[in-house]
Amino acid sequence: MNTTRISSAVGLFLFGLAVLVLADVIAFDVTSAYLIGAVGVIALLAAVNGFTRRREERTVTETPDPERRATVPVPGHTLSSAINQFRRDSYEFTTGSQRISEGLSGAAMAVLTRFEGLSKREARTQLKDGTWTEDEYAAAFLSPDLEVEEKPLRDRLAGVLDLETSFRQYVRRTAAAIATIGYGGLGERRAPEEIPQYDPEDFENIEPRTTTKAVTEPTEYRNTQTGYWTGVGALALTAIGFGALAEAPGVVLAGVVGVGYAGFAHLLEAPEPEISLERVLSEEDPEPDEEVTVTVRVSNESGRLLPDVRILDGVPPGLSVTDGVARLGTSLRPGDSVQFSYTVTARRGTHEFDPAIVLTRDFAQSNERTFHVPAKTTLVARPTLRPLATSVPLQPAAAGFSGQLTTADAGEGMQFHSVREYRRNDPLNRIDWNRHARSGELATLEFHEERAARVLILIDARKSAYLAPEPDAPHAIDRSVEAAGRIATSLLDAGDTVGLAALGPVDRQDSRRINLKDTCWLGPSSGHHHRMQLSELLASHPQFSTEPPSAGTQWQAQLRMVRRRLGSETQVVFLTPLCDGGSVRTVRRLNARGHALTVITPDTTAERTTSQQLARVGRRIRRFDLQRAGIPVIDWPADDTIDEAIARAHARGRR
Amino acid sequence: METLTREPTRISSIGATTAALLALVLAGAASIEGGIIAVVGAALIGLGLFWDSGRAIDFGAGILFFGVIVGGLVEAPVILTVLGALAVVVAWDLGTSALELGRQLGRETPTARLEGVHIVASLLVGVATATVGYGAYLFGTGGQPAGAIILLLLAVIFLIVGLRR
Repeated sequence: MNTTRISSAVGLFLFGLAVLVLADVIAFDVTSAYLIGAVGVIALLAAVNGFTRRREERTVTETPDPERRATVPVPGHTLSSAINQFRRDSYEFTTGSQRISEGLSGAAMAVLTRFEGLSKREARTQLKDGTWTEDEYAAAFLSPDLEVEEKPLRDRLAGVLDLETSFRQYVRRTAAAIATIGYGGLGERRAPEEIPQYDPEDFENIEPRTTTKAVTEPTEYRNTQTGYWTGVGALALTAIGFGALAEAPGVVLAGVVGVGYAGFAHLLEAPEPEISLERVLSEEDPEPDEEVTVTVRVSNESGRLLPDVRILDGVPPGLSVTDGVARLGTSLRPGDSVQFSYTVTARRGTHEFDPAIVLTRDFAQSNERTFHVPAKTTLVARPTLRPLATSVPLQPAAAGFSGQLTTADAGEGMQFHSVREYRRNDPLNRIDWNRHARSGELATLEFHEERAARVLILIDARKSAYLAPEPDAPHAIDRSVEAAGRIATSLLDAGDTVGLAALGPVDRQDSRRINLKDTCWLGPSSGHHHRMQLSELLASHPQFSTEPPSAGTQWQAQLRMVRRRLGSETQVVFLTPLCDGGSVRTVRRLNARGHALTVITPDTTAERTTSQQLARVGRRIRRFDLQRAGIPVIDWPADDTIDEAIARAHARGRR
Repeated sequence: METLTREPTRISSIGATTAALLALVLAGAASIEGGIIAVVGAALIGLGLFWDSGRAIDFGAGILFFGVIVGGLVEAPVILTVLGALAVVVAWDLGTSALELGRQLGRETPTARLEGVHIVASLLVGVATATVGYGAYLFGTGGQPAGAIILLLLAVIFLIVGLRR
């Protein structure tokens, strides 16, 4: 700045002049007290100027939250997304409120026809009469004829004070009425007790990564003036101004103290840190849910003192810190090093640490520089390959090898089926010798034939499947992959052949590109090598990454590829949260090709808000429709293990 | 650990509060009026730390500084005013530092070494300036020409404007 430079020069010149006057080299004698007053006024004017200019910038570099996990949405996080699932696609122009009431009556129709056993016509009549619910608000909202009775004056006055608009109240109550029917429909859950909140939940805006760029060496990405001392000069000028006007030396000196800090702020620059970072894991190959201690060692390799160093370690987005702090604020002498450690809980998958963020400031904190300092560290947690407690629920269709699947056909096996008359060439060990001893007749025992199943486990890892009941809870993909590992182990142990495939983005950053080559596909097979391959894919295939993708992909092409490769006798176990139309279409397409299909669906829905409840109802309707089409659907609630979910399905009897 | 508590760090907060109380005592010793004003300022600094509000700390420090100056204007001993001003600036500095550090690193993060260095640096600068200023004042009371004082003041004003602080 030109003016600042000029004024600094003038200041220095005057200072020199003053020194010369003090040293009696030159004479500058004024005795007028007015002059000092004038100087005071100048100082005050400068201070006012400074104060009005102040506030322009004092910036604090915001830091991300690498210690938190990347979050995924909760089903029904917006009202429109929850309502659109019940609307038929139409290209007509509709207003927002019209769209909501249309969607809600669609939802009411859907639950009434499915869970109350009404025909479409009956349902429409009930909606029109308002007899479908006991809530008069809900009834009036969906009916063109009904009005809510005029309320007494006192209630209406209370309504005015209530901040919630009446439209919102109607929507809430209608959604709650629909949920009551939708929940009761499958006979598992009581109706919700209270009306949920209308507004979407506010979740903190979390930035779980330090950077998404690939950084190979320490790079500076920001150099800012923090404006930390903004205002101290104006404060000093005020004091000097008042002091000069009142001729009070103490006040002038108070101002001089401020001048010292203003100069201090200007003198120094943040040093360039030559910092090296070293990260050590207590266990690089932990089991999922094992605690891993991360120790980070930071060394100052420059020959200068770093007075102010702030470090945030780049904890991977898929991991969260469970103990300790992944940050440090310190100062480092030349050659000095410090270390800090924290604990993360390992989650299934391959986790690469992001570069750490290092902020340095000078002594006066007025200049701040920000660096990314990388240190390559990878943590791989392979999913546990432990068989299920119960057998895998498969459909009775199978290949001709012996295996887990007990069929209705008679033949060789373990479980008694029937006795038939002896035919020639029946094996000796199948002849009922007891009967022969009793009566002399020959008869042959028959058993339920056990055959090997060919199973493909298909995981729904589309962007819309990255859902969880809480934003940082284990999401549907986490749970699906865990279940896939256990189901595959169970089947392989029983001698079946198992394959693995997935739908969804491969690349995390640029996922729009269809990438069929890298899409996960492992044809059904068995054996030790196959088992290892399966485990490796589940642990580290990018499609199963615990980090949500940034965009969706064209999964239909992936589905076509899977269908092309699928043998006709192979049956499919499809793991999906069942929270959008795409998952249902996938099921129907596979089923249309005649593949026996079992759907296992981790429940990710919540019921804290109106829209979440609607999303839950929508999922129930999808489940119901699939079951009605003869496809077994195993619901897997969020707080159950996969063992419990499958045991419950067994207990209820397979369809 | 659930979340980071992004609130002012402990050590600097304690430092800031101590400095603010010291300024309050000095202002009160200089004059009653100044003391009363200073109570408001010191309370505002404390609340600013509690509320995590930089604005409150700024205003608190401004009021506290004004309280100190009022003492100086009613002819209190010069040393009280100088030390008071020093304490106010230190309180403001540490308060702001606690706030920014808390926002960037959180309260749980070990930051003792950084804060220690910062407190020492801040005190050193203040004490050095105050010593120079007070020394010049003691030396200059022996009837120096008023012209020199005027020139000095003008020099300071231009320098501050030049520094844009």
